[in-house]
Amino acid sequence: MTDTTQVASAASSKDPTVGLKAVRSLRVLVERLENLQVRNAREQGWTWEQIAQLLGVTRQAVHKKYASGRGPLRRKD
Amino acid sequence: MFERFTTEARQVVVDAQHEARRMHHGFIGTEHLLLSLLGQQTPSSAVFARYGLTKDDVAHAVLGYLRNGDLDAEALTALGIDLDAVRTTVEATFGAGALDRPPGQREVSGHIPFTPRAKKVLELSLREALALKSKSIADGHIALGLLREGEGLAMKVIHDRGIDAADLRRDLTAALAA
Repeated sequence: MTDTTQVASAASSKDPTVGLKAVRSLRVLVERLENLQVRNAREQGWTWEQIAQLLGVTRQAVHKKYASGRGPLRRKD
Repeated sequence: MFERFTTEARQVVVDAQHEARRMHHGFIGTEHLLLSLLGQQTPSSAVFARYGLTKDDVAHAVLGYLRNGDLDAEALTALGIDLDAVRTTVEATFGAGALDRPPGQREVSGHIPFTPRAKKVLELSLREALALKSKSIADGHIALGLLREGEGLAMKVIHDRGIDAADLRRDLTAALAA
């Protein structure tokens, strides 16, 4: 995975398959990281407003995404 | 149906819930039943051990199956991102498997439901006990139920290790008769 030759050849590839797969994986990675970070922030008592501000989105957006109904990110008692 | 379960068999069910919780899974699947079976100190778990199935190995294999999904390490390498390095960093902060948990299964609290397949395994354990003319359902019968059901992540682990399910069934049955 740290094979630099492989990295170089893949990065220079014009094959859309390579580029699109990379984008997709990156998006999944971002989503998972965001999930972990938002959860952590909520557990530390952060408000949706504070989280949204740092994520660069509206409070409503982050709330809708992570606090819907009996969602997994509801704060523990 | 649980009233016919032996103490050990009940423990398997209870521990399966713990395994699921420990892995932050919001369900109890066949893989958690298998892990739980391996954690018991019974003739059946001894049979599993003889086939080289240990709790650590199976847990590792299960996490391996679940981890990939849409996170393609090779594709990320094309961008110069080392997924393993990211994983190591994230796990240092958020615990093992943190990056590989499907979103929506973060917080696991309260009652964890059985998957339909795991439920089927428990039902089949009753049938296995009846077939062997046993009045009670032991952990070995759950193991046989697992094999009888024949699919799911637990069976994938067993198959991927090249274990012959028929041989395993025979030895588990023998251990129950002993």
